[in-house]
Amino acid sequence: MSSTPVRRMARSPFVLVVGVVLTWFIAAFLVWPNINVLMATFFPDGSFSGRAAEKLFSSQRAMKALGNSFLLAVALSITVNVVGIFIVLVTYYFRIRGSRILFLGYASTFIYGGIVLAAGYKFIYGDKGIVTSLLVLVFPGMDPAWFSGFFAVLVVMTFATTTNHMLFVANALKGIDYQTVEAAKNLGASTWTILRRVVLPMLKPTLFAVTILSFLTGLGALSAPQVLGGRDFQTITPMILTFTNSPTSRDLAALLAVILGLATVLMLAVMTRLEKGGTYFSVSKVSSELQKQDITNPVANIAVHAAAYLLFAVYTLPVVLIVLYSFADGAAIQTGQLSLSSLTLDNYVRVLTQQSGLRPFLVSVVYSALAALIAVGGLLFVARLLQKYRNWVASLFEYLLHIPWILPSALLALGLIISYDRPNPIVGGAVLTGTTVILLIAFVTVKIPFTLRMLKASFASVNASLEEAAAIMGARTLYVFRRILLPLVLPAAAAITALNFNSLLDDYDTAIFLAHPLVQPLGLVIKANTDGAEGVDGVANTFVYTVLLMVITGITMYLVYGRAGRRGSRKRRAAVPPVAAAAAPPPAGASISGEDSKLPAAPVR
Amino acid sequence: MRKLQTLVAAAVAVTLLAGCGGGTSVPAASGEASSAPATSGDTLVVYTNSNGEGRGEWVTAKAAEAGFKIEIVGAGGADATNKLIAEKNNPIADVAFGLNNMYFSQIKAEDALEPYEPSWAGEVEEDLGDGETYWPLVKQAILLGYNSDKISEDKAPQDWTDLWTKDEFKARYERVTGLGTATAQLVFAGILSRYRDDSGDLGISDEGWKQVEQYFQNGSPAVAKTDLFARIASGEVDMGQMPSSIIAEREKSFNVNVETVIPSVGVPLAVEQIALVKGTEKKEQAQKFIDWFGSAETQGEFAKQFNSMPVNKEAGTQANPEVVDFFADLKQQDIDWDFVQENMGAWVEKIELEYMT
Repeated sequence: MSSTPVRRMARSPFVLVVGVVLTWFIAAFLVWPNINVLMATFFPDGSFSGRAAEKLFSSQRAMKALGNSFLLAVALSITVNVVGIFIVLVTYYFRIRGSRILFLGYASTFIYGGIVLAAGYKFIYGDKGIVTSLLVLVFPGMDPAWFSGFFAVLVVMTFATTTNHMLFVANALKGIDYQTVEAAKNLGASTWTILRRVVLPMLKPTLFAVTILSFLTGLGALSAPQVLGGRDFQTITPMILTFTNSPTSRDLAALLAVILGLATVLMLAVMTRLEKGGTYFSVSKVSSELQKQDITNPVANIAVHAAAYLLFAVYTLPVVLIVLYSFADGAAIQTGQLSLSSLTLDNYVRVLTQQSGLRPFLVSVVYSALAALIAVGGLLFVARLLQKYRNWVASLFEYLLHIPWILPSALLALGLIISYDRPNPIVGGAVLTGTTVILLIAFVTVKIPFTLRMLKASFASVNASLEEAAAIMGARTLYVFRRILLPLVLPAAAAITALNFNSLLDDYDTAIFLAHPLVQPLGLVIKANTDGAEGVDGVANTFVYTVLLMVITGITMYLVYGRAGRRGSRKRRAAVPPVAAAAAPPPAGASISGEDSKLPAAPVR
Repeated sequence: MRKLQTLVAAAVAVTLLAGCGGGTSVPAASGEASSAPATSGDTLVVYTNSNGEGRGEWVTAKAAEAGFKIEIVGAGGADATNKLIAEKNNPIADVAFGLNNMYFSQIKAEDALEPYEPSWAGEVEEDLGDGETYWPLVKQAILLGYNSDKISEDKAPQDWTDLWTKDEFKARYERVTGLGTATAQLVFAGILSRYRDDSGDLGISDEGWKQVEQYFQNGSPAVAKTDLFARIASGEVDMGQMPSSIIAEREKSFNVNVETVIPSVGVPLAVEQIALVKGTEKKEQAQKFIDWFGSAETQGEFAKQFNSMPVNKEAGTQANPEVVDFFADLKQQDIDWDFVQENMGAWVEKIELEYMT
């Protein structure tokens, strides 16, 4: 994978077609609207002033919040990896009793997140929480408000964001050639050495990708600090949101967002550099399926079992409580008092018998599915090319495609409005505001960075010799892509599609500005029913919607991901020529065991 | 099973082959959509922040009875304001209502409203709106409420400033953690207006800013997704800001009793308004809707249903008598709204950056 000269790259018609479409898309929907909104923000009267920077840097609160966000981002990149790798290993690598049950517990973060997740943890560890009450009985002197501040936020967010590990790292692990492990064993390597020198290095591309996501999650932390951060640990995102909403302070919001965005890009650059030049697949000619490993040391074995089940409890308790509380009235939820007699179906009846009924659910499902499919479908080609060709043009495109990570979605939406509220030649003279398409465009664009990162990581794990073999035998580019590469990355693509779909279902920030008045998605309805100055019904409705979304996302993950995994494996065996199939380690994202077909699902938030 | 697998595979294949995915399928769709105008037929698009707790459905149903086909688009006050301003070159909304005078004067300053005098203009006090583009519907008082089971009236605070100057109230009141909401902004409009000083920073004297600083230093920060009434019920705090319309319902839900403080300067009133959006293609229909919605009859019914305080004098007779009495006794704080409107953005920014801890 050495760098390819730009001129040679431009000789392939496939590259040219994708390049032209991509250039148009980036120019029309990533660069132009955002330049417009940034110009309007920073140069309101046509002249630049350093006002925003001056205000921000002299504000103690802003600097502290910014610092907290960075601290959280760095800490999360580490803790999420530690916990994430641990749960992946105990579910898929080591022989642990009841690992399938453990899996279901760990997978619970797939189906929920945001403010309700933070609230769930508060029910358990907060000052009136179940665990806290027990602890106070044992240690009467302890502070009931122990679970707050940086520590609490970090703990909650760590457990809440291992979703990507469970999906992508787990699948990369399953793709490891067991022969490499056996060979190391024969050479006398210990369990620990094998893990560190053989297994983890092969997971690198995926680990790099999920680390960037963890970093980004930490930077953008919103609900966990609001619920658990207390006075001492507030992050920058709430301030960005307040300033975005105020036209006179929007320059501050944009500046803060750009600072966070640049940090993300920097992280990306570091990771890309680390990723470069590595070989992340087995080169053996006959690969075999990974087998679970025994932990031979009895003490270590017991310790790992205990830790695994403790984590299981940590993951499962909040979900159970959220489902329970969704049947309680709003006052009980907020005061944390729950009695079995007060559980009724009233909340569900109220939400489901609204006049708007199921329509918003349908609208959201259609929009999210379309956006998820378009994003993944389009980027399959792009990710492939970016992964194959390493030169400055490819890098430029790659960085441009990350623009949606730099700006908050409200600013992206405003940019689209002010750019396309009159006929614009870039989009064939159409007016986009007020159409049903503009929201779809926004949904696709916000999902581009995540999709690209994960797809690129899965292409990186594909053995290049397969493609070379096909090319030598005379296969054309599209044929190779369709028959060799696509089947290998399809399971990962399906998982990404499902995650994208789930995370768009309840979107509010984009939809509020761009939704067609007659086709309003679920996020707006949820907001109307849960905001009301956080009244009694509002909070109860939040829980009901969360549970309803858990059901939808659970079903989609089961349908799309669980089955796609099985299909992927079967199809691959049929589609790839026998020799190649034998030589092919299952790719990152492929699930061959079919073990996770029971997999519930989850939004990345 | 195999069928489903084939289906999924086919779906993916179609997306892939439908002209290179993302790229070309989008403009194709946009072409179709732009040929059909945004809002079909005679449906009026109404933006409001006053659609929660069943109000949106109620208005839609009542409007249908009166012969209007409307589609409510709900959004928070700030979101709705930003949306109306962002869309001013090609408006989607025909009418907006529920936003208070501060928000509407922002929208008006961006030239996104069309002047219109409703048929009921004579039945409301003109100075509650701007007498030109936006017209008043409903009054809302922004109050300081306290737990009356715990604090007797003579021991209660007399004014906002007591909260941080008297030791017994310190840490016993909830203070906001963000100034994004209209209620919070109005509280500060009420406090800062008293310290107007044209030579001070942003038109406010140092003394005024000191009050703000004290407010944040001594209050107990609000907790996300936990209502003030829930915190009062659990004894965490005893008092905080509240708009008048929610008090009765929250007292019942959380089983607490709350009394409100009427400072000697009076309380800030938020007045929800209605306005015609500039550039609407259904101007006539929209004007008729405004005439209908602001009429004594509709406002009276609305007030009865949702315990609101209508501005329309005749509608007042139908409103909940308790509410009417409360407002009859209420002393309104004299606030120069033009001054507040001009500075609110900068105040919010300063407070967020310098005083919130």
